[in-house]
Amino acid sequence: MKPKLTIVLVLVAGASLTPSCHKKVAPEKLDPILRAYDTDQDWNDSERVIPLNYQQAQGKRVFYQYCVWCHADATPAGPSNRSNLNPMPPLANDGAVFNSLSDDFLRNTITLGGSAVGRSALMPAWGITLKPEEIDAVIAFYRAIAQPPYQAPARPGPQYSVR
Amino acid sequence: MLPEEMGKISKRFRWTFALLSVFFLAVLAVSPVREYLRAWKRYERDYVRFAQTRPDTKRLLADFRFEINQIWIPKMDVVDRCTTCHQGISQASLQDSSVPEPFRAHPPIAHRARDWGCVICHRGQGLATEVRDAHDTTLAWEQPILPVQYIQASCAECHRQDLPQTPRLNRGRELLAKHICVGCHRLPGIERAVMLGPDLTNIGSKVSRQWIYKWLKDPRTILASDGSVVVNGYESEDEPRMPKFRLGENELVALSGYLSSLQGEKIQPYKFDPRVVAEWEKRPDLIEQGETRFRQMFCTTCHSLAVTRAGETKLIGGDIGPELTKVASKVNSDWLVAWLRSPQAYLLHAEMPRYQWSDRDLFVVSRYIESKLTDTTLLSDVPALGTPTPSEVQSGKQLFLEKGCGSCHVIQGVPPQTDYGPDLSSLGLKTISQLEFGNSRIPRTLVAYIEAKVTNPLSVNAAARMPQYSLGSSDLTALTTALLSMSGSSAPTGLEGLILPARHPQFRPAGTFGELYERYKCYVCHRFNGYGGTLAPDLTFEGSRAQHKWIVDFLKNPQTLRPTLTFRMPQFNIPIEEATVLADYLTMVMQTPNVNLAGTDRKAFTPQMVSLGKQLYEVKYQCQSCHTIGSTGGYVGPNLTNAGNWMNPAWIEEWLKDPQSLVADSIEPRRNFTDQERTALTAYLMTLKQSGPAQATAAAGRGQ
Repeated sequence: MKPKLTIVLVLVAGASLTPSCHKKVAPEKLDPILRAYDTDQDWNDSERVIPLNYQQAQGKRVFYQYCVWCHADATPAGPSNRSNLNPMPPLANDGAVFNSLSDDFLRNTITLGGSAVGRSALMPAWGITLKPEEIDAVIAFYRAIAQPPYQAPARPGPQYSVR
Repeated sequence: MLPEEMGKISKRFRWTFALLSVFFLAVLAVSPVREYLRAWKRYERDYVRFAQTRPDTKRLLADFRFEINQIWIPKMDVVDRCTTCHQGISQASLQDSSVPEPFRAHPPIAHRARDWGCVICHRGQGLATEVRDAHDTTLAWEQPILPVQYIQASCAECHRQDLPQTPRLNRGRELLAKHICVGCHRLPGIERAVMLGPDLTNIGSKVSRQWIYKWLKDPRTILASDGSVVVNGYESEDEPRMPKFRLGENELVALSGYLSSLQGEKIQPYKFDPRVVAEWEKRPDLIEQGETRFRQMFCTTCHSLAVTRAGETKLIGGDIGPELTKVASKVNSDWLVAWLRSPQAYLLHAEMPRYQWSDRDLFVVSRYIESKLTDTTLLSDVPALGTPTPSEVQSGKQLFLEKGCGSCHVIQGVPPQTDYGPDLSSLGLKTISQLEFGNSRIPRTLVAYIEAKVTNPLSVNAAARMPQYSLGSSDLTALTTALLSMSGSSAPTGLEGLILPARHPQFRPAGTFGELYERYKCYVCHRFNGYGGTLAPDLTFEGSRAQHKWIVDFLKNPQTLRPTLTFRMPQFNIPIEEATVLADYLTMVMQTPNVNLAGTDRKAFTPQMVSLGKQLYEVKYQCQSCHTIGSTGGYVGPNLTNAGNWMNPAWIEEWLKDPQSLVADSIEPRRNFTDQERTALTAYLMTLKQSGPAQATAAAGRGQ
């Protein structure tokens, strides 16, 4: 009887404990492109598609409404105004230009216009037209499409500072 | 048991007792241990440990409590416990992708995740406290987490109007309308055109039986004669709106026979002025003029033509009307002339404007179309089909009803079909058990079901009546998103207060203007009080913007203000009286109270103001980056060379104050001009006047 009882005990205890063990659900492997809120075609590589999150997607929308006319070579309505300007505005995905500029500098340039930061006055001030979150979204979009890719600065950003 | 043994505890009894004690202890321990090992508690402990490794531990743990977190939205009947595990959801410092899930912050969105919870958008079981229950399909819950690429479907839960923030959903709704899904399915909120497919009452007088046969067989190959031409380019996903119906040979013969028998009244050939015809007979090179005229009238604003460059065929032109590359092989010439003269005589609801033709124009343009936009080999692969026999007509009519053609196409005398396909108004809420998968091999999820149905209806049900559409992958995702957003009429849960309904405004003016508005179909391209197309400028406030004389001149001879645009206003040959009526109405009625036309006196502008304005324009604000004056400047904004004759000064002042208050989606940046700067800029712009030459050359180009 003894061995039988022991076995029953072990089984009962085991059975009652088993469901509480954490089940390892295999993580779903999905294409990051498919999981994106929106995407944009890489300007230099027709094969590559860049996944965008919500904020970057909003930036894309604002970009293609207001900025594309001078910061891209092709626009939804035909040729771009870019080559028409002197100095010629940089392409939005030009990482060589934008990666070295901080978010704060870009925010100031867009908000106050080129003349306010010592750049060309051809860049108008968008601070009243666009909402601050739209300007942040455009910067996020620029970061997402940058070629070479943008690396966020390693040191902790201002979000850690005491406010 | 002996009396002396009573009270004594045997060794065996002790053992049994000891074992049982351990057993009961273990059994009693099961519950606390299970409780301790609950997934959410594990995650909360992990979160505390994780937060302690971060530099801003204090902030991360400020609101932390070791319990189930719950967001309750009584109006939507939603209980959401997701934030129990997803602790960092609104912590800005946990945004980085190096933060392990489930603690990563949500990317910034328009709504606060802590207020609205997760399941309203992401679906899944908000009440659940186990990982699997919350995210997957279980026996008790059949709405799993919505894959992220379709997430915009959830926005439509409350926002029934198109939002700029949801491009994929908007595209999907556009596709539902464009592919006329409402012909067969009930899809609330999707626009239903007055005419879904062309009225076929007199189709036999327009096209031949052979053409109908080929079109029914595959409405996609009409453009490519050898079937190998890839049509991409301007609108790469452009598709005929007619889907493929998988008809058999007999069905094709019968249907084409029936449709070609629908002749109606015989079209009387139009009698051209004999002098025009005589001129043509003598001068065959006039066909070039037909093409020039075709281009000058800007037919390509609505119609596209296939152009082959470097081995690649592209469609160039607009997509409001059908593409015309081989139209002369489709329609007969008497019909073509009759159509050009009055499209509404053949199709009451046609969107094509009724042009004012001179005999000469009509003659050269129709001859150009007949001789150049044609392909003699187009119908070469169609078998010989004679006059339809009565039995073919009979079975064709039968097929017309059986295949659901009557859902989109009207034939007088044939009862129209309604609700041919299933009601899709609450498709997005359907659970797996409500979907008919049959024996198909598709994954048992709602998303997979919808995608399979749209890409290949036969893969779900071999006897499906639904025709074949071919959509690109991005369009498929968009369409699926829009279908997933169909959440039907909500139960009375108080949700009504949260729904922002879609508006469908109408603008149908009366009187002489109303007649001309219908004749020239102004609303197909222009927008009036929120109604109409978006191809051309919104005319809601045109009376505040433009001067009467300028409108009349423009209507007589439309010139584009934006030279880079490929689409321009067609040349309608509007007579002066009609142009005056149109301009009168626009200047009297289409005004905004924000612009007080009497408030600005242009005589008050001094030369000092003008020179200051010029300086502001050229140096301080560098408006020339977007606007052209004369021959220098940018192409983004309208050309201002003739601004003084074009716009009202009061409009310019108000525009400089706040452009978006006048044209909501204008891309002109709103600036912080002082009153003095604004007046100076207005004064300067009002001095910009172009005297005639540009208009003279354009008029010469008309060849009149």
